[in-house]
Order: sequence, then structure tokens, then C-alpha cells
Amino acid sequence: MLALTACSTPGQVALLRDEDGKVGAVAVSDPKTGAERGQLTAPNTQAGLRPGPLKPKPLTTNYDALLTVMPPAPRVFTLYFANGTTLTAESEKTLEELRRIVTPASEVQITGHTDTIGDGLSNDRLSLERATQVRSALVAQGLPVANAKVTGRGERELKVQTPDNVSEAANRRVEVIIR
Amino acid sequence: MRTKTVAGLLMLTGLSMATLSISGAAQAADIGRIKTVTGAVTVVRGSASTPAAVGQVLQVSDVIKTGADGRAGVTFADNSRFAVGPNSSVALSQFEFDDTTHVGKSLTTVDRGTLGVVSGQIAHENKDAMKVRTPTSLLAARGTRFVVDVTP
Repeated sequence: MLALTACSTPGQVALLRDEDGKVGAVAVSDPKTGAERGQLTAPNTQAGLRPGPLKPKPLTTNYDALLTVMPPAPRVFTLYFANGTTLTAESEKTLEELRRIVTPASEVQITGHTDTIGDGLSNDRLSLERATQVRSALVAQGLPVANAKVTGRGERELKVQTPDNVSEAANRRVEVIIR
Repeated sequence: MRTKTVAGLLMLTGLSMATLSISGAAQAADIGRIKTVTGAVTVVRGSASTPAAVGQVLQVSDVIKTGADGRAGVTFADNSRFAVGPNSSVALSQFEFDDTTHVGKSLTTVDRGTLGVVSGQIAHENKDAMKVRTPTSLLAARGTRFVVDVTP
């Protein structure tokens, strides 16, 4: 009887403003027929999940406590290299910031890139060296190696398009995504 | 060297491209991670139930269960995120995601409790591809932050 009561709880859905201020929508349909009951499209509205047309109303339930455990959005950083595997002074500071941010639970995607100086093969190698160097700095900070994915993209993904054999600071970089 | 060993193993087992795509799928089976845990939180996988730990890897069909004081934060491969509230049962019923094309689909089943959702690349790429099922309804995320509440 208790289980039956729990199963019949219709509950509700609430639409919140996105963290970046945008608002999406949630469509609600009948799970058996697939027929759409309606949508929530306005921020801070809620609607019961009963059969029949959806009836949106202003949000009255407070979900702040729930949202305190929502993990933060992934963050993207770019480190630039003066030459070889030497970071620019500015990017040394960014790396310091990264060291402070990563935790043993972080998942990190590290992707190295080069400019078009030199041949493709050596740039593949250099881009991977750059990425691996950044990983080493973060692993020294306690990030498990298994949580850090390293890729070298060589000169395939130029930030600034240039002809071959052009030195371009914006292309000598490592992109780091922390989740 | 490690790559060579894996390739060798693949040859030994007599499986080539088929295995490669399966091993790709096996990697994709690592669909998300527990990021925060407060109070009683367990992950049920098959018949095994283990206390949730920060950093724990999640797979399709895992069920996240929380006690009266339990809450958990989860991130997924498509950058979508969950906040699981107290007294909840949330099953990761389906999750497919191609991190190159961003095409995928997911279905999450909330039997009871509360689930906060920030949708990710799956919903961004295809507006009805991220779904949440409750006992009475099927919800489709169209690029958004929302809460599903199945509390008595």
C-alpha cells in the first residue's frame, strides 16, 4: 500500500534560469502515449506532473539546498608557449591558477597545439610534449594520471590560420578543460 | 609500448575492427563521475551496492540512491550535470555520446526524490535527446537547467 502511494506521487518539474542567464525549455509528455502535455518555457516556473495539460505557475518551491551540490560548469584555459615547451610569463601564472583549481576528483582534458614552423611530424611530437608537460605539473599537484587525458594535435587546429612555416604565438598553445 | 600490447592482445583474441569499436564503446561506458557526496549516498550496479565516493566512475544502468541526509553531484561525458537530493533513486538508464560529433541520447529515471539537471552537449545537439522519466511523465530537456521533483 505504501509502495503504491509512493508510485502514484506525480511530483513536479521546475524550470530555472541557466547559470549563464539563458532559459531553455522542458517538454512534458505522457510516457505511455508519447503525447505532449505541454512545456515550461519561462524561467522560475513549475508545473505538476499529473495527466492532462501542463499548468505552469510561478516557482514557489525552493531548490537552493539541492543546487548547492550541483557541480560547477567545466572550465576552459589556454596556456601559450614562448618557444618549444617554455610557457610565456603570463601563462606561467595561468598554470599556477590551474594548480590551485585541480583536485584528485578533477577530470582534465589537455590538448597541445603548435604553429606551422617545422614539419607536421615534429609538430605532432612537440604538441604532445607541451600537453604532457602541463599534465606533469598538475599530476605533481595530486591529480591522478588516470584523470588527465593528453592529446597532441600538432598544427592541425590552428587558432590563427597561417601559411606553412609561420611563427604565430596564438597557435603555440595547450588547451585545458577541467571538469 | 602499451599500445603494442593492446594490439597484440586484440590479434591474439582474433578480433580486429569489431573489437576496436567495442573497446571504444567500453570507454564510452565510463559515462560520468560522482563529484560531491554528502550524507548517505550509494551506487547500485547490478546486485552490488557500494557507498558513493568522490571521483567514482559511473556506468549505464547504475542507480544513485540517497538517504534522508544524502546529496550527490554528478558530471557526465557531455558536460551535463546532476544534483541528486535526499531520499532519491535516480537510474542512469541510457547514455550514449560521441564526443567528436556531440550526437547522443540519454534517459534518466527518477523513481523518487529530487533531481536538478543542467543539460549538456547531448541536449544542445538534439533538443529532445536528453530525457528524464518519472513515474507519471517523460520530460525532454531543450537546453536548460531544471528540477524534477518526485517527493510525496
